[in-house]
Amino acid sequence: MEALLEKLTKTFGPAGSEETIRAVILEETRPFADDVMTDNLGNLVISRGKMDQETVLVAAHMDEIGIMVTYIEEKGFLRFTNVGGVRIETLLGSRFVFRNGTTGVIGLEKQKEKKDPGFSAYYLDIGVRDADEAKKQVQIGDTACYEPSFGRQGRRVMAKALDNRAGCAVLIEALKALPRSLPLGVHFAFTVQEELGLRGATPLAYRLNPAYGLAVDVTRVGDTPEPEYKMGVSLGQGPAVKVKDSSVICHPAVVEKLKSTAEKQGIPYQIEVLERGGTDAGAIHLSREGVPSGVLSVPCRYIHSPGEMVDLDDMENAASLLQSLLQEPW
Amino acid sequence: MELRVLLQEISQRDGVSGFEQLLASYLSQQFEVFVDETRTDHLGNLIMLKKGSKGFPRVILCAHMDEIGLMVTKVEKGGFLRFTSLGGFDVRTLPGQVVTLYGTRKVKGIIGFTAPHLQTDTEKKKSAEMDQLFIDTGFPEEQVKELIPVGSVAALQRSVVELMNQSCAGKAMDDRAGIAVLWQCATELQKLTHEADVYFVATVQEEVGVRGAVVSTYGLTPDLGVAVDVCHGNIPGAQEHQVSELGKGPVITSGPNIHPVITRKLTTIAKDYRLPFQKDVSPGPTGTDARAIQVSMEGVPVGLLSIPLRYMHTSVELLDLDDVKQGGRLLAYFVSSLDKNLVEELSC
Repeated sequence: MEALLEKLTKTFGPAGSEETIRAVILEETRPFADDVMTDNLGNLVISRGKMDQETVLVAAHMDEIGIMVTYIEEKGFLRFTNVGGVRIETLLGSRFVFRNGTTGVIGLEKQKEKKDPGFSAYYLDIGVRDADEAKKQVQIGDTACYEPSFGRQGRRVMAKALDNRAGCAVLIEALKALPRSLPLGVHFAFTVQEELGLRGATPLAYRLNPAYGLAVDVTRVGDTPEPEYKMGVSLGQGPAVKVKDSSVICHPAVVEKLKSTAEKQGIPYQIEVLERGGTDAGAIHLSREGVPSGVLSVPCRYIHSPGEMVDLDDMENAASLLQSLLQEPW
Repeated sequence: MELRVLLQEISQRDGVSGFEQLLASYLSQQFEVFVDETRTDHLGNLIMLKKGSKGFPRVILCAHMDEIGLMVTKVEKGGFLRFTSLGGFDVRTLPGQVVTLYGTRKVKGIIGFTAPHLQTDTEKKKSAEMDQLFIDTGFPEEQVKELIPVGSVAALQRSVVELMNQSCAGKAMDDRAGIAVLWQCATELQKLTHEADVYFVATVQEEVGVRGAVVSTYGLTPDLGVAVDVCHGNIPGAQEHQVSELGKGPVITSGPNIHPVITRKLTTIAKDYRLPFQKDVSPGPTGTDARAIQVSMEGVPVGLLSIPLRYMHTSVELLDLDDVKQGGRLLAYFVSSLDKNLVEELSC
C-alpha cells in the first residue's frame, strides 16, 4: 500500500490534465481488468464481472487541485489562477511543478494592508530572466501541481494529492485482491475533474447506468487542534462510512450495507457527517432516475494542502472493506 | 378527511430531507382513493398516477414532502450532541426548540445554549453560531452514544397552532402546504373530467438542492409540469415586491424559470372560474422544484404555484388555509383543461 501510495501521489494530475496519472493507474490495473474503457472526458473505467446484470459503480477521482497560468509578465513571472479549491494560506513558499518538469516557487507582492491578499497578489517564479525564456517552458493555460513530496512517520503518511490518490489506491488494492467470480458487475472508475465540480462522474454515471454507486474519497477529521468543524471522525480509527456531505445524503441501504459488512468482517469503521465538501457520489446519485449511492471515506488531515496526512491502517481497512463489500450480494 | 385536518396531520409528522420514508407511506394512504398507481423511486420520491381519459398530455404536479432538519455530527463529553443542518435554518430560531431525534429509537431533546448569566460580553452582543448550540436529551453520555449515534437526524417538534380566521401556524408548512394543495387538487379532480395523465409527485430532498425533482422528472419524462411550493407572506418591514398577501389566493409566478404559456393558462383559468390569485415575478432560477424540472432531459415546460407563508424556515410557519384550498381548485381546473392544443402551444 505504501509503495503504491507513493507512486500515485508523486504523479502529476491537476484537474483537466489527468493523462499522466491515468497512464500510471492503467498500468497498475490492466492485469486485473476484464474490460478497460476511457470515456470522452478522460474517465478511466476498469470493469470486472458480468456487465449484463446489475452493476455497481465504484468511483475515486484521480485529479488533484493545482494552479493554471493566466499571464506571463515581461520579467518572466507567472500569474496564475486556482484549479479547484487551493487554499491561499498554503501558497507562499510552496513549489509547483508543470507536466514537463518545470518547477517554480511562489512569491507574494508587498502588502500595504493586513487583510488577506487574493490570488492576484501571488506569482510563480520559475527562475527565468524574461518572458521569452519563460515561454520556452510554460504557456498560458498550462497547469501545475504541488511539488511531490512523500514521507512516512510510523503508520502515517504525508504527501500532496492524497486527495484523492488515497481513494485510487484503495480501489486498486481492492481490485487486486478480488476473486474471479463476483455476485454483480463492478466498474472501478478513476474519474476526472472532481475538484472542479464532479464533472467527470456526471457523464460517466449516465453512460454506465449502474444499479448502485459508491465513491471512495478522503474526508476531514475533527481530531486536530481547533478543527474547522466539530465532527466525530479521527485519524487511525478506521475508514468512515458517510451519512451526509454537501453533495449527497447517502442512501440508507448503502450505508447499512457498508456498516454490516464491516461488522461481519471485524473491520473498524467510523460514521461520518461532513458539513462542507462533496464527492463523486453527489453526481452519481442524481444520474438518470436516481442511483442509490454511498461513500467510503479515508480520514485525512490538512486536505488541499501540500502536506495532507492519512493513516496506513485506515487505508488498508478501507481496501479490505471495499473488497468484502463487492463479494456480498446487494 | 377535511383539508384542515390533513394539513395538521402532515405538518406534525416528521420527514427531514433524505429521511422521508415514513411520511411517504402516510401520504400514499391519503392519496390512495384518488389515484390508479403508486410507486416510489430510487431516491424515495412518491409518484402517484391518476389516469386521464386520453392518457395525453402527461403532467407532473410536484410538491416537496421533505422539511429542513438537523443531523448529529458529534457526541460531546457529557452526552451533548453537536449537529449540522439539513437545509437552511436561521440559527437564531433554534435555541429553546424541542426536537425529535431519530436514533436507534425515537428520543426527545431540547436545543440548549449558554444562559444569559454565563455569557461573556461578546457572546451577549452576538447571536450564537450553530457550533455553539447542542441538543440535550437528558441521557448520560454512554447511553446517548448507543441511542443516538452520529448521523442520526432530528426534526423540530411543534403542534399546529390554529389562529384567527383561516390561519394556522406550524413546522414544515414549507412544503406540506404544497402537498395539501395536491391533495385538494386530487379531491376536486374526482368531480371533473381530464384527458391528461396526472402524476402527483411528493418529492424528496428539495431543501438540500432540489435533488428529488432531478431524478423523478427524468424518470417520468412529462410533457409539462407544475411545482407547488410556498412563498413569502407580508410582514412589517419586508419590501412589498418580495411578499404576497395571506388570504388573497395562491400566487402564480412568472419569470425565466417558468414557461409563459403555463403562467398565462393558470391566470386565464383563475379568471374564468373566478378564483382568487396573486402574481409575482422571479427573475432568476426559483428555489423550487421548478428549477430542476425545467432543465430535465430536453427541457420540460413548467409552472409555479405558491402559497403565501410567513416566518419561512421556522417552526411557526403561518399560512391561510383558504389559499391552500383555492390553490388545489385552481390546479384541478388547470389539469382538466389540458389537451393536445395546449401542448402544441407550449412548443411555439
